[in-house]
Amino acid sequence: MNIPKTIALLASLLAISTQIHADAVGKDVYSKVCVTCHATGLAGSPRFGQAADWAPRVAGGMAGLYQSALNGTPKGMPAKGGHITLADADVKAAVDYMVAAAKLPKSEPEARKEEPKKAEAKKEEVKKPEAKVAVIAPVVPPSEAATALATTASAADANSFNRLLKPANKRNLPPPEDGIHDPANDGTHALQPPLTAFGSLPKSLAGNRVNWVEAIAQKKINPRYDRNDPKAEPIVMDLNIVREVKGSMPDVVYPHKQHTEWLDCSNCHPAIFIPQKGANQISMAAILLGEKCGVCHGKVAFPVSECRNCHSKKKDMAKVAIPAEAGK
Amino acid sequence: MKRLVSPLLAGCLLAGLFLQPVALRAEYGDVVINRQAEKNGMRPVVFPHWFHRIRFRCKVCHAELGFKMRAGSNPITMTDIIEGRFCGACHNNDIAWSPENCDLCHSGKPGLPTGVFGGHETSGPGRW
Repeated sequence: MNIPKTIALLASLLAISTQIHADAVGKDVYSKVCVTCHATGLAGSPRFGQAADWAPRVAGGMAGLYQSALNGTPKGMPAKGGHITLADADVKAAVDYMVAAAKLPKSEPEARKEEPKKAEAKKEEVKKPEAKVAVIAPVVPPSEAATALATTASAADANSFNRLLKPANKRNLPPPEDGIHDPANDGTHALQPPLTAFGSLPKSLAGNRVNWVEAIAQKKINPRYDRNDPKAEPIVMDLNIVREVKGSMPDVVYPHKQHTEWLDCSNCHPAIFIPQKGANQISMAAILLGEKCGVCHGKVAFPVSECRNCHSKKKDMAKVAIPAEAGK
Repeated sequence: MKRLVSPLLAGCLLAGLFLQPVALRAEYGDVVINRQAEKNGMRPVVFPHWFHRIRFRCKVCHAELGFKMRAGSNPITMTDIIEGRFCGACHNNDIAWSPENCDLCHSGKPGLPTGVFGGHETSGPGRW
């Protein structure tokens, strides 16, 4: 047995097997991910097996294609096809698979000079949102040190003051800092930070810290009532329901007016509230558990910490409560 | 029965404790939608209520488009959206930008559960 020959044979076998493996991976990734767009040419993507679509792209060099696939392009290719968890090698294998399927005539690319340009353009793309963030950042945390301190304190110290209360520097944070958006995602940096939108809106002490009802009343915002028709007017029903409550809390005045500005009757009736006097058992416990009023209040509408927004009719005063105040 | 309930309660409390820092900082009413996304290798979707309510009244999505008002009860798929249901009713490159901009919606931190975030007033352990 000739040892060097055996080694060479094994090496070539290994090379072939890895090549076969890469092809299989490429096909697999294509059929699971890329196919969504590249089968039909969605968003102007090069179609699978269409030489004409692929030729100009391959002319730019495979390195450029890999770059586009891995990092995305401004034209619409998402980084790694939007599947960030894919390994780089698997993405490249999928590119190879698609290029091979296009069956292009073999020719070495000339236009390699284009690549660095493309890459630079991409870098700028990435930089832009960062710059935006830098502009916005001073608006939110007055002092970075204080933020850091507050974070560590709330995370580590079980006896910190007002443990569950949102401190001022943790309110209305821009998406990359809000703890649920992924800062590693490019799109996160393109999203509007809440404070840039809330600047001109009337304030409140809870929730988004915006008084949404007042924002409509003052015509600061005019959200559409119909998906397509910006001029559609809401069907408003002005009817207050007074609910007498036990104990010393003021009675609840429920204003249909402020609710029908936003909602359709069918949003609440009859699934959440039976439209009949005395048919609905409502308790604060139910609300806090997300039922009845708690379907919205405590999630998107003002939270239950704003007691007097609802409990607004004093018991000893027989006079009518101020209905307009009820929804604020 | 009690034996069953107490570990469940403890679990809920623990989960609440871990979720707290996240919920504390998220914008009020942000919804994480992650029934399908991560299973299919995408980041979870973050839906900002505040952004949409500046532009649309609740009724548009919750009555016309058929979004049920309970996080996790709407089985939204990309096929639905591309065919014009759910988000796709507006995100169609006509009323709002088209679903090709994957990373604007699929922008959540991996591993987040489906649910409403940012409502610390009702979700804090020991708050009431």
